[in-house]
Amino acid sequence: MWKEIKEREFGNVRPNLFSSRISKSRVSSIQLSNYKEILSSHRGSVNSLQVDLTESRYLLAGASDASVAVYDIQRATDHDERNLIAKHKPLFVLNKQHEHGHKYAISSAIWYPIDTGLFVTGSYDHHINVWDTNTTQVVMNFKMPGKVYRTAMSSIARSHMLVAAGTEDVQVRLCDIASGAFAHTLSGHRDGVMSLEWSTSSEWVLITGGCDGAIRFWDIRRAGCFRVLDQSCSQFGRRQPLLLRPTTNKVTNFVRLKSSPASQSSSAKVRAHHRKSANGSALKPHTVGRISSLVKTAKQRSHPGMLSSHDRATAHYGVVTGLKVTGDGMYLLSAGSDSRLRLWDIESGCNTLVNFETTRLQSSKAIQMAVTQDSTLAFVPCMAITKVFDIWSGQTKSTFRGHYENVNCCCYNALDQELYTGGNDRQILVWSPPKFVSDETGEGKNGKAAATDDQDNWSD
Amino acid sequence: MNKKITELEPSTSRKRRRDEESEAELDNDDDDSQSLSLEENFTFSDTLMALRMMRSQFPRTEKVTVQPFVLRSQLYSSLKDRTQVDMELESLRRDRVLRIFKLNTGQDDHAVMFMDDYINQIERVVKRMEDKKQDDIRVFEWFKIHVIQSKLDTSIGHQELFSLLSWGGKVREEHISQLINAGLLIRQLIDQNMYWFSIPNIGSVLKGLSQGRKEVLSFLNRRKYKEMMLVSLEKKRLRLSPLDMRFHLRDLIGSGHLKTIQTPSGLIVKIAKD
Repeated sequence: MWKEIKEREFGNVRPNLFSSRISKSRVSSIQLSNYKEILSSHRGSVNSLQVDLTESRYLLAGASDASVAVYDIQRATDHDERNLIAKHKPLFVLNKQHEHGHKYAISSAIWYPIDTGLFVTGSYDHHINVWDTNTTQVVMNFKMPGKVYRTAMSSIARSHMLVAAGTEDVQVRLCDIASGAFAHTLSGHRDGVMSLEWSTSSEWVLITGGCDGAIRFWDIRRAGCFRVLDQSCSQFGRRQPLLLRPTTNKVTNFVRLKSSPASQSSSAKVRAHHRKSANGSALKPHTVGRISSLVKTAKQRSHPGMLSSHDRATAHYGVVTGLKVTGDGMYLLSAGSDSRLRLWDIESGCNTLVNFETTRLQSSKAIQMAVTQDSTLAFVPCMAITKVFDIWSGQTKSTFRGHYENVNCCCYNALDQELYTGGNDRQILVWSPPKFVSDETGEGKNGKAAATDDQDNWSD
Repeated sequence: MNKKITELEPSTSRKRRRDEESEAELDNDDDDSQSLSLEENFTFSDTLMALRMMRSQFPRTEKVTVQPFVLRSQLYSSLKDRTQVDMELESLRRDRVLRIFKLNTGQDDHAVMFMDDYINQIERVVKRMEDKKQDDIRVFEWFKIHVIQSKLDTSIGHQELFSLLSWGGKVREEHISQLINAGLLIRQLIDQNMYWFSIPNIGSVLKGLSQGRKEVLSFLNRRKYKEMMLVSLEKKRLRLSPLDMRFHLRDLIGSGHLKTIQTPSGLIVKIAKD
């Protein structure tokens, strides 16, 4: 550690490299925290956790007993007798007794991305509430047609304040906080939408995963989705650098030409191109006529944006229970109830075929995954344990066992390299790099007592 | 005689097996592979070699009338890097060396079959239909030539199937019913216009597969510490499944239901807790 600091001082190591090395070594030593504890006041399973995006100081938790709590994770509310463990009690708890609180389970609680003055909660009682943090009052309320599974706001949005809501209903709704009304709806899924994420590279792109197993990319400025991910469309790991790409593209285009347009997953523009080229190639005239007439009657000259609703490609063989976009906006990690985790390359829309070894993933509830800032490790809740995967090789780096029941959500705090997990056992556990006990002996009035407590009790 | 040699010198037997492999003499391998224990040839270095080896170890009894296939979970248990397995399977599939089929025995079960074996299986089915004097088996020829060679995925849509079969001749609805009756296509439950490709006559084997899995797991669950030495477990015969114990063990270890622990006296198979 001191050697590294000396290297940085002499200019041998750049500051960015120095800080990334330190955080990488800290992340690899994460374990159940021996100096920090969160006293969860929830009486139901913890469904959603989020650390605020501005200061990484406040943790927002939503639970199944309709309670929402905010914890300050940097300053402890009290310490135990020997100053060893910092306990964090909630700053406030909002539950069913609150006059405008939720009546049923809260499935999703997120901070307003710009500051911590507002937060948004979505619940199974078909409502989305926007709360003011300082007065703990509901400032806005949206009624949804079904149980709200997930809400999301874009963290890079500069021109809109839309809350995207995924419900039991097949349509994804966008609620506008600025005006208090619904902006528009996105249709295309054939069953409820269980997971929802905004893209981290564009403020207009929304990614949704449905109970029908499909993952769709929507540009909210246009109608219809522009991409549906297909698990059979695959590439080998990372894409080739630019020079080699023309040959691989030719191969994939050749394979795609032979299949009929309606069943291949591609954007609407590419599909139109294929149809033109299919007409030009040497197919029997009456079969071509049959296909195009069938296509025409099926679609009835619908809007080009709505063509994607006929695309039935699935990304998973079951429900898509979790989505996570990496920080650089290039890759998407998706979890399904078929107990598979898939890594997708967003730009090409292909499955990268990285195999993450998971025996079972919970299938009835959505799970929340986390990825480190440099996109090398992924934290995934698998039943009662949380597994840490290396994103590119798919190997399990470590497993975190601590919860008594299924883990629902995990949230990574990049500032302190800490992980928070919430589960069905109503607990929120903190996983952090170890701190040595000797660091604590200087602080507090019990410092001296702590030092003598560590010594042996023998009367030598 | 063979057995004695393999027990005394496991390393040389493995080397001998590899030499035979490189000469592509897989017929002699049958005797050797039956007598080689699972413990000795547990892991492989290459997917294609693992596939060939496991294909040669596929039980050929009177009860099993299907050409050899390998389950994906078996490959996962035999090779260390699962991502490499997936990528190599994908490239072999694109080169038309093998085909992958989705099975209905579990959420994520896939069977891998070499292209030649699949064509043999189809021909067997066609011959049986010929014997029954059913007319119009031309659709199977069209299927073999046009559909299988161009559509490499596990499923196919109705429109696409129609258009690909039309390359051979005029297609009617009865032709598609014939394909379904022969067991080459299965209608999807969630979507009526999509079909899964499937291996004909595999029904009894799949039933044996799921019952055998249950039997192995219940046998280990009934034991006091839910574990057993691999060597002695392998010698047990299964009552409900025509497939041998080695097949089931590879499959269950690869899908995560069982795990193996290395001990000084050999490998132990244990029920996985997670």
